[in-house]
Amino acid sequence: MGAVDLSQFHKTFFEESLEGLDAMEAALLALDSGSTDHELVHTIFRAAHSIKGGAATFGFADVAAFTHVAESLLEEVRSERRAVDAGLTDLLLRSVDCLRAMLDRTAKGQPAADAGSEALRAELTALVEGEAAATPAAAKDSAAPVAGWEIRFVALPHLLQTGNDPLRLFRELQQLGTLEVVRAFVTDAAPADFAALDPGQCYMGWELRLHGAVARGDLDAVFEWLDGDCELSIAPLAAAPVAQAAPAAAPAPIAAAATPATPAAVPVREATASSGGGEGGSIRVGIDKVDALIDMMGELVITQSMLNSIGENFDLSQLERLREGLAQLERNTRELQDSVMRIRMLPIGSVFNRFPRLVRDLERKLGKQVKLELQGEQTELDKTVLEKIGDPLVHLVRNAIDHGLEMPEQRRAAGKSEAGTLTLDAHHEGGNIVVRISDDGAGLNRERILAKGIERGLVKPGQSLSDDEVAELIFQPGFSTAAQATDLSGRGVGMDVVRRNVRDLGGSVGVKSVAGKGSTFTIALPLTLAIIDGLVTAVGEERYIVPLISIVESLRLPADAVRRIAGGGEVFQFRGEYLPVIRLHRAFGCADAIAEVERGIVVVVEDEGQRVGLLVDELVGQQQAVIKSLEKHYERVQGVSGATIVSDGSVALIVDVGGVVRLGRRSKAA
Amino acid sequence: MAGKRAAKRDGAPGDMVTVVLPVDCRIGAQAALQAELSEALQGCAVELDGSQVERVDTAALQLLMLFRRASDARGGTLSWRAGSTVLNDAASLLGLSRILELPAVGPA
Repeated sequence: MGAVDLSQFHKTFFEESLEGLDAMEAALLALDSGSTDHELVHTIFRAAHSIKGGAATFGFADVAAFTHVAESLLEEVRSERRAVDAGLTDLLLRSVDCLRAMLDRTAKGQPAADAGSEALRAELTALVEGEAAATPAAAKDSAAPVAGWEIRFVALPHLLQTGNDPLRLFRELQQLGTLEVVRAFVTDAAPADFAALDPGQCYMGWELRLHGAVARGDLDAVFEWLDGDCELSIAPLAAAPVAQAAPAAAPAPIAAAATPATPAAVPVREATASSGGGEGGSIRVGIDKVDALIDMMGELVITQSMLNSIGENFDLSQLERLREGLAQLERNTRELQDSVMRIRMLPIGSVFNRFPRLVRDLERKLGKQVKLELQGEQTELDKTVLEKIGDPLVHLVRNAIDHGLEMPEQRRAAGKSEAGTLTLDAHHEGGNIVVRISDDGAGLNRERILAKGIERGLVKPGQSLSDDEVAELIFQPGFSTAAQATDLSGRGVGMDVVRRNVRDLGGSVGVKSVAGKGSTFTIALPLTLAIIDGLVTAVGEERYIVPLISIVESLRLPADAVRRIAGGGEVFQFRGEYLPVIRLHRAFGCADAIAEVERGIVVVVEDEGQRVGLLVDELVGQQQAVIKSLEKHYERVQGVSGATIVSDGSVALIVDVGGVVRLGRRSKAA
Repeated sequence: MAGKRAAKRDGAPGDMVTVVLPVDCRIGAQAALQAELSEALQGCAVELDGSQVERVDTAALQLLMLFRRASDARGGTLSWRAGSTVLNDAASLLGLSRILELPAVGPA
């Protein structure tokens, strides 16, 4: 095993282990809420088992040792020797958290075990040992290396076909200590007739003794690849009970267990360094998506060969066919693009899944009752967006439970059911993913927000604000003070951070609240960060692309429709409200642009409920734009979110509607 | 190898049949070896020549062990013309030295 560089598999191991922990957590929560499905226990056990196996294989001894104890405990549950109660699920949930942290530290090349994990391991060990005098499973692992091991290893017939050879295993065991073959025997699976046996099958079993101070983790590592290919039982040598008698929680065995991890940490650190930044991760893609891609590729090749044949002997009579071919090419390209983008799409369920746990913990902490409803978990969105939306969502959920939902007695007094309902819902809306976090709590407290707004100088005393404007206050950077920012779940605290995070993803967040009925936070996110559908507009010699999703309407205004207002701003009436006009040529400093409103076109755009009119020369057409970062190639420009190349080959800038709207609001306020 | 085997097998029943183990005596060679040994089993005395063996695996040792068992059951005799260090090491590691009665080739 030593010859293979295992570090290349570390990343997969971490990913799979984290997935396993997610599954474990979900199953534990299901058990916690009273489900008696035995399959749940199996799920939890399997997850622990494969993490243990993987960790042992890769030499992450601390993780393996920790999981081993947890697994021993789970084995008792699985074999119905131990009943599941709240205390046990709580302990196991804490173990899940602990393992996540351990894996995280391991991935960073730090020692996995810390005081917290050792304490928890001791707790687990104590529980296993307390009621399992007959099964010294935990003791044999957590105790200091024993005098040796007694191994009974019976190959299943297919063992050799898996590429595993007992000979090689025994050689590995020899590396660990002194190997003694007590007995080699032929299993019942062997046919009596020599001619009838299959020499590719293994019909043997061995009783072995491995003498020496061998860590259980090392031993497990040797047999790890044999899971399902053999019957294996390992027990400490008879001389060992002396060592077993020492309580596992004593400091000495902990120190001993921690030591082997140190050499393992070094290659990990190297691997982490070589794999570069954390964001360039890998992605798991369903085979159906890859197949769709291949199908599409096939179509494209057919179209290409068709166009080739037209091109070979082209005359004008074939113009119609050429047009058809080009239309087909366009269709193929778009479909191919869709398929490629779909590869990056993952269901939002992976983010939603962390909420049952969060809700449970908060329920206990705050003494509230929460019914969590998840909807639209299958809604897919871009992996990058998905990774970054987690924290803002957690924030909103915490806020909703902490401050939105009332205590059971208050709810009862208000004529509501004692358990509050928190709904997370994700769905597609146009080109966006919309995530709603709604609670049926008390709603935003208008008076308190207003008072705080005045206190913070965001609102002038005596200024009258609509409900929406009051709600909007909680997103203002100045609304929370630095002192409160450390308290994650203070109402409004960090809401500006939530908004900024969502905005960085090209999305928007807003809130609707009804006093006594609850609040709904709505996050709208683009499907992907890489491509937008845009309207190409001309301003002087320049081309600007306005994202299609922000456009409300484009219209031509008569000269007298635009009115100057005090302070130099311009507004026009649009569906009963006055909107500021932003002359793009002025905002971006373009020469030779149309200055008269009646000769240009006004594009009404919207961002977070705020609308402005952008004055451009003309509309050129609609195009999909692959966003190139301006920041990366040049520098950040206010009001511009990126650049792209339009069909004639020239560079066009993509208008950052949010930025421009903020610009417009300022000019309106001015 | 095949020629040698053919020559030996032509002898009258009761004659010693020699089976030469191949250089690469791993799982891929076992089906052929098994066929050869099955035929040899029909006679009374079988002699194994392991001198050429350079690579060996559990499948090979297992086959030899099962052959030994089958031969004993029939009351045949099995002897070694020559062993090899590789065979001896592997047999010792798998705990099969005793049943196979491999000849010593240097330190086993």
